[in-house]
Amino acid sequence: MTVTLAIPSKGRLKDQSLEMLASAGLAVSLPGDARRYRARIEGRDDIEIAFLSASEIAGEIGQGSVDLGITGEDLLRESVADWESKAAIETKLGFGQADVVVAVPESWLDVETMADLDDVAAEFRQRHGRRLRIATKYWRLTQQFFSGKHGIQVYRIVESLGATEGAPAAGSADVIVDITTTGSTLRANHLKVLADGVILRSEACLVRSFRTRAASDEALLSQICASLARAVRE
Amino acid sequence: MTSRYPAIAPDILALFASRGAPTVDVPVLQPADPFLDMAGEDLRRRIFLTESETGAALCLRPEFTIPVCLDHIASQAGTPRRYSYLGEVFRQRREGGNEFFQAGIEDLGDREIARADARSLADAHALLALTLPGQALKITLGDQSIFEAVLAALGLPRGWRMRLARAFGSAEQLAAALTDLANPQKNGALPEPVAALVADGDRDGLAGHIASTMADAGLSPSAGRTPQEIARRLVEKAELRSVRLSAEAFSALEKFLAIDVPLDRAADALEDFAKSAGLSFGAALANFTARVAAVSAEGLSPSAIGYDAAFGRPLDYYTGLVFEISVGDASRPLAGGGRYDRLLTLLGAKTPIPGVGFSVWLDRIEALRGAAA
Repeated sequence: MTVTLAIPSKGRLKDQSLEMLASAGLAVSLPGDARRYRARIEGRDDIEIAFLSASEIAGEIGQGSVDLGITGEDLLRESVADWESKAAIETKLGFGQADVVVAVPESWLDVETMADLDDVAAEFRQRHGRRLRIATKYWRLTQQFFSGKHGIQVYRIVESLGATEGAPAAGSADVIVDITTTGSTLRANHLKVLADGVILRSEACLVRSFRTRAASDEALLSQICASLARAVRE
Repeated sequence: MTSRYPAIAPDILALFASRGAPTVDVPVLQPADPFLDMAGEDLRRRIFLTESETGAALCLRPEFTIPVCLDHIASQAGTPRRYSYLGEVFRQRREGGNEFFQAGIEDLGDREIARADARSLADAHALLALTLPGQALKITLGDQSIFEAVLAALGLPRGWRMRLARAFGSAEQLAAALTDLANPQKNGALPEPVAALVADGDRDGLAGHIASTMADAGLSPSAGRTPQEIARRLVEKAELRSVRLSAEAFSALEKFLAIDVPLDRAADALEDFAKSAGLSFGAALANFTARVAAVSAEGLSPSAIGYDAAFGRPLDYYTGLVFEISVGDASRPLAGGGRYDRLLTLLGAKTPIPGVGFSVWLDRIEALRGAAA
């Protein structure tokens, strides 16, 4: 019996995940060949490590094809429909923090809150012959926040796969929903976050998928989760 | 193929023919944009989207009203005209199938609003009476224009009226909007020179300042919101800063929204309300009364129809009458409809075309028939 733990395959998320695992007594012995995507934990033949991109990890967790994964809460909520029925966040890991926010041009001096944006969106079509456009790669989170939480229906999402912050200046959208850590990219693009425009304060999480498995595997997963939770607290 | 159709389909088609509404056939595959534009992005996760080879977004028709209206506009048919339909619609649903049958009538271009409203209600009622004989049908009627008339009569600022009118039909959103207006959020402090320009109400000065910040940010002054538009709203907002929804207006709105009476007593109830609140409905009440008379003329008894002042349907294209029909206390309506006088213009009609229509869920009717048999 082995269980699979997927961790991000590159960047700071990878490094911080490896550090966290090491401090939980689960040091990963990296493959000699850095291009290989499988690894083991020293002395633990029952745990297999898979290196995947963070967004793939969220997807695989949703499919139940990996048992545990370290990925961003934003990616889990965005890419897995009805995620609560498929997986649970075991532990927030205290790194990889980023906020998913609603940002509008700084020159929109009259728009400070979502209620302001609601007013603007409602009149947009009449004034401009089209709906207000929101550029984002987070269409699920955007919809839940705009339609579900704030009752704003009349807008269109423009899917953006990169450099979302440039969309207003490029004329492809009016406002954006994007991820930010320090806000400096937004400021550099003359965008401001609405006062109540934080959709999600995301960070890296240890996520467990709900697929059915042997009791011994289940126990092993709980043990890994507990070790990581302890490491986070220390 | 025909076996896919519900057993009651031929009866329904015969009824449509006898009520002067020939059947129109619209393609299953539809452009997705009109649905997303009209119903909102929220629809995206509930429809089946696909893409043409050239990248155009297409969807399996999630309903009939928009395709029938688009078809009417494209065919440049004269009005007034009544269209009926019976066919499959496709929606992503957690429960029940993803494809199910709807039938209905769209009544386009009849300028006799009261008569057309009443006929649409009678059409829907006749369909249900035919397919569910002996079942007690419960009709609930609301009116978006009466609510808007109350907002106007209370002398509320334009921005507030729009906000409340948008929330109509959702008790939750309406309560949230009223709370906001009774306790307005403090606006953040504005930087200079904006604060001084706002204090002076200098819209041109503001627009000039905003235009220069837009230029700095590389934003086109015409592709989206314009400097003038932002300046206007900023000044309006500042004017409302010290205003809050008065206790009288709040209690008047609450009293209005609590009106829930049989339709034959609705006009009296509205007049009593207007008298006690010291306001006038103007033409909206006359239209309402004319509709009640037209409903009687259609052979429906107004005393058997409920008027609920707070009743609306969650689609922003309804402009007047809205109604639902259900059996007994079932929470899910069997039929829903309403007036959508702006929809055809939004869909591209060159001249305004009033419209009213309804749709019935044949799967729900079939389930009830199955249970009764």
